[in-house]
Amino acid sequence: MSEDIENQLRRAMRPLDPPEGFAERVLRALPERGPRATLASVAVLHPAPRAKLWRRLAGPTALAASFVIAIVMGHYVAEYQADKERRAGLEASRELMDALRVTSKKLDQAYEAVNRPPPSPPAAEENRS
Amino acid sequence: MNLQPANADTDSMLRRACEGDATAFAGLVRLHQSSVYSIGYRMLGGRDAAQDLAQDVFFQLYRKLDSIESIDHLGFWLRRVAANLAIDRLRRAPFTTTYSLDTIAPELADPPSNDESGEDLLMARALWKLMGELAPAARAVMVLRYQEDRDVAEIATALDMPVNTVKSHIKRSLTALRGKMIGAQLITAEDLPEERP
Repeated sequence: MSEDIENQLRRAMRPLDPPEGFAERVLRALPERGPRATLASVAVLHPAPRAKLWRRLAGPTALAASFVIAIVMGHYVAEYQADKERRAGLEASRELMDALRVTSKKLDQAYEAVNRPPPSPPAAEENRS
Repeated sequence: MNLQPANADTDSMLRRACEGDATAFAGLVRLHQSSVYSIGYRMLGGRDAAQDLAQDVFFQLYRKLDSIESIDHLGFWLRRVAANLAIDRLRRAPFTTTYSLDTIAPELADPPSNDESGEDLLMARALWKLMGELAPAARAVMVLRYQEDRDVAEIATALDMPVNTVKSHIKRSLTALRGKMIGAQLITAEDLPEERP
């Protein structure tokens, strides 16, 4: 009884054998739940280096593609925005020119009206003669 | 005893299994089936659940064979996967474990003939009761410590928990086990070895 409880515990927890034929059942079940234990399936389990390389590069490639798409889209959006601003500027400039032209015309008319000599009164001419 | 040829054999078995040799894979299963099955059996408390768990562990091994570096790594990998899979199952379905006298361990089925075996039987009964009451992680710690005879550091790595947590699980489980044995009048308090600090 004085034996160390841990040793007793180790003895009580000896590994047990599974039921007879367990390994065979595992192997038989492999084709149903996993790849078949043949050389052909091993090729599936352990893909060729090329496939592995592609799987390894898939992530970085997708990231790089997204990066390029983002740059192209950004460039396109910036160009579209600049074009829109340029057109708005041209339109504003044209409207300003029109406004200036109208203003100038009005000013000319006013100037002419101010500087035109007053017409001589006809009654005075008649009196002098 | 010279272990060199055995290691060479198992290394070669592992290499051939990686190359797709089903016979070699079967050899690996036979080599480790007791360990994996027993982990499942003691953690889940039933033969069917243990067989199911062991099958799943070996299926996972079959899919991950190319990541196994050596025969030692294989043993560690199997213990880790079996223990963690059992913990997951216990956490997902905590009330489906079958710890009861009906499903008591096979070593308890045949009554022992001498006194020493009698002590072992009583210890096994107390242990069986204790395992049914422990939390999943604590069960895994006890199984890896006393069934698989792993050290605390390896258990901590396998179960992804701090070393001090492992030590504390062991200490608490041993205290509980002593209590159960005293309660069952298997041993008296005077018979117990002094608790280590």
